[in-house]
Amino acid sequence: MKKTDMIIVGCGLSGLFAACVAASRGKKVQILSYGAGTLAIAGGIVDLLGYGDDGKFCANPLVGIDKIAAQHPYQKVGGSAVVKRAITEFLEIAKSCGYPYLGTPEENVWVPTAIGNFKPSCLVPKSMDAKALLASKKILVVGFDTMKDFYAHMVVKNFTKRLGESRTISEHIVALNFEYGKDLRDINAMDVARWLETPEGQASFISQVKDKVDADTAIVLPPVLGLEPNYEVYDKLHQALGCSIVEVSSIPPAVTGLRLDKMLRAYAKKHSVQIIEKARVVGAEIVDGRCEAVITEGFDRKRKFYADQFIIATGGVYGGGLKTFIGQMKEPILNIDIEVPRVQTQWSHKKLFDNQKQIFAQYGVSVDETLAPLSAGKKVASNVKVIGRSLSGYDFCYEKSGNGVALTTAYKAVAAFCEED
Amino acid sequence: MLKTTVVVIGGGVTGVGILRDLSMRGIKAILVERDDLGYWTSSRFHGLLHSGGRYAVKDKEAARECIEENTILRRIGRHCVEATESIFVRAPEDSEEYEQEWVKSCKECGISAIPITMDEAFRLEPNLSRKIVSAYRCPGAAVDGFRLLWQTVASAQRYGGQFRTYTEVIGIEVENGLVCGVKVRDRWTGQEENIACDFVISAAGSFAGEVAHMAGLTVNVKPSKGTLIAFNHRLCQRVIHRLHKSSDADIFVPHGSITILGTSSIDSAPDDTSTETAEVEAMLKIGQVTFEDIYDYRILRVFAGTRPLYSADPNAKGRNASRGFVTLDHAHDGIKHFMSVCGGKFTTYRLMAEKVVDIVAGQLGVNEKCRTAEEDLVPDPTPELMGRAKRLFPSYGAELAASRLGNEKLERVLERMEKSPEEKELVCECENVTLAEVEEIASEPTSHTVSDIRRRTRLGMGTCQGTFCAYRSVGAVDRKGVPWAKDTVELFKEFLETRWKGIRPVLWGNMLRDTELTRAIYDAALNLTGVEEIK
Repeated sequence: MKKTDMIIVGCGLSGLFAACVAASRGKKVQILSYGAGTLAIAGGIVDLLGYGDDGKFCANPLVGIDKIAAQHPYQKVGGSAVVKRAITEFLEIAKSCGYPYLGTPEENVWVPTAIGNFKPSCLVPKSMDAKALLASKKILVVGFDTMKDFYAHMVVKNFTKRLGESRTISEHIVALNFEYGKDLRDINAMDVARWLETPEGQASFISQVKDKVDADTAIVLPPVLGLEPNYEVYDKLHQALGCSIVEVSSIPPAVTGLRLDKMLRAYAKKHSVQIIEKARVVGAEIVDGRCEAVITEGFDRKRKFYADQFIIATGGVYGGGLKTFIGQMKEPILNIDIEVPRVQTQWSHKKLFDNQKQIFAQYGVSVDETLAPLSAGKKVASNVKVIGRSLSGYDFCYEKSGNGVALTTAYKAVAAFCEED
Repeated sequence: MLKTTVVVIGGGVTGVGILRDLSMRGIKAILVERDDLGYWTSSRFHGLLHSGGRYAVKDKEAARECIEENTILRRIGRHCVEATESIFVRAPEDSEEYEQEWVKSCKECGISAIPITMDEAFRLEPNLSRKIVSAYRCPGAAVDGFRLLWQTVASAQRYGGQFRTYTEVIGIEVENGLVCGVKVRDRWTGQEENIACDFVISAAGSFAGEVAHMAGLTVNVKPSKGTLIAFNHRLCQRVIHRLHKSSDADIFVPHGSITILGTSSIDSAPDDTSTETAEVEAMLKIGQVTFEDIYDYRILRVFAGTRPLYSADPNAKGRNASRGFVTLDHAHDGIKHFMSVCGGKFTTYRLMAEKVVDIVAGQLGVNEKCRTAEEDLVPDPTPELMGRAKRLFPSYGAELAASRLGNEKLERVLERMEKSPEEKELVCECENVTLAEVEEIASEPTSHTVSDIRRRTRLGMGTCQGTFCAYRSVGAVDRKGVPWAKDTVELFKEFLETRWKGIRPVLWGNMLRDTELTRAIYDAALNLTGVEEIK
């Protein structure tokens, strides 16, 4: 029987980060992953807490975190002190990977979005320096002809509404002339990012925008500054153009999220984390209150993976970490029944986008202060932690707290395990 | 002041059918609709073009009308009809005697019902429950309600018929016991206006009572709500009926890549289009008899419409009741040249219009005969036009676009694409809707919201239910600066909230997953709900 120190189920942000933290403390870690995680959708910026329980903007996330309701994962794991340690560790890892992030947990910044409004977020890559945007007198919104899913004119219109009075805001479309674009093959942000990684792409971009910008300008563009977790593309363009360049928070595919995913995978692999793909975990073997193994199911057989400690980071309903049926919700690996109303319309508010937290978003696995999962109030297994989106008690969309909860609970689970050793 | 001969109130299928018939007989007419065309009942049904089989035992006249109109519509409205045919299947719990009576009745009504072996039935429809004991092929079909309405109106327009959407009737003008006009209000501008006319026909469906009330009259419409479930799969290639006494949740109609299961029947308010989880559960349970795996299919959305059932008032005079629908000539209530039309079936909408306009024409002294069965709703596109379309549209999009746009609009869309090739981009990948189409429809004076564009193009009606195309369609209407597209956030909310309404009662499994994705994009990444305090 092969046995490792720690098995993490799930390879999204929380699973990867937990693996990085545990590996950096000398643990032998195995990740069992199935599917891609949601980084490619949500993007690579770290929202910590944009809005408090009262719906008001939090200028300082840490202050907001200490005021939030007791059932929130942030409160569960010990509040701002723990969040701060988790974020510090994240910033250090990013820096050591050559892809440092800007920001501190004490301050929210207004990140521009692909519709031309702003969202509060906390840690951002250098290529999304929202402060530089707001400090600029001129804004040039750059779109790409034939690229789908970015409408520069819409961004200009809404920027003008919000920032117009004191700034000059204009639009410029860069020609791509992709051979395959001519026959209607969709071109998305990833294609343009690949193009900008090439010297020809960079030269073409620079020549097309050079005479439109000066030192007072901030270029705003979709997330296209390369697919790799580094600032090579950003630095080259910045140097040649001499102005700020800011990527927006956009719709999938989230190039910035893919960069973060690559960065953490590289870090994890460097620290000998073993990532096993296409391993769908379907259950756990729990004996006398301890988890001995998790069970995977492939196309032809079941297999057991043994470890001393387990972290479940399988995501929420979207990621498949929670399963729902008519009047029922289940965590499928530990087989926990989650209490939900029998009548489906009680799961939600009448409006999808309402000025309050959405009800169903807050359903999930209950845990104690060490993130050990509870079923009907009782601990399921002493050596299992649940982290990330499958936790109950928060609405990442409304609060703008998704990646922050993922990082914090991942950090806390590993820390709790290490203290126990 | 605007003047016409007839004002038709209500832009459902009954109203547009009447508008077309009037216009083709040379009678000047304006149709006014409070919401968008087909906003209410005419789009809130299963999209079934009845063969008549469902009524054969109970109501032979209705069955005969159905098969005759079915034959006509498959010809004149072929761009709105998918001639799938239908299969009636009997489950073990359904009565065998009923089957025999049904076979006999179909024969009497002239409805072709061809018995097939169960091997053949399972070959044609592999998802059918293996417990089914007998099956018959009938000439039912699927019909696109929105498209049929818009094409019927387009046909009326060619004969001078006019229509106005988002125009609410706020008064019916009567002088000396004779109708002389209606007062209307534009719901977007609030502007009020009188339309002078010689005749008013209320085809307001479930709202007929409210319209009559404006003239001080009573029309007893008892709306009955029916709930429908749209599945994200084509469960069957043909319409599938249960062969038993008509009941709830016993009809499956395939449309493109989806299937609609209907329906139920509950007394309701005319504007009640809400759906409850309990109804959905009850329908799934019945539907499982026909398709055993029904719980495994992803539901796209649920919706409901109200049938405008007329409740006969024994004292009412002037009832000229055919089986399916009722015309009330309010001359008997003291107001001449004012008529209400109630009830009826989508399948027989043309026939209803013919009968109504026969009466109206008689009173107006017009002798023209009805020609609505003889002429196509929209002419076929010429081979030259289709050739151009095929060079511009991706894959099978040319045929789809041609049938939903009709010739004139197709021509304009092609011009847009030829002028700026980037407008070939697909905005809605699920339903194959291009940027050029969205921009063309957005620029029409009848468009006021993204949902208006949806009803005309099927934008956002497919698998993703607007998750991806909401961003693109708002971006697209924004691009041309159409006057109604001012507040970006409101445009998004209007479109996404209408999609959400149909998902909320079925918020489990993949429906909840899709909702999480929608929120992740529009709320987490794009902050649609958040307050902003940028300094």
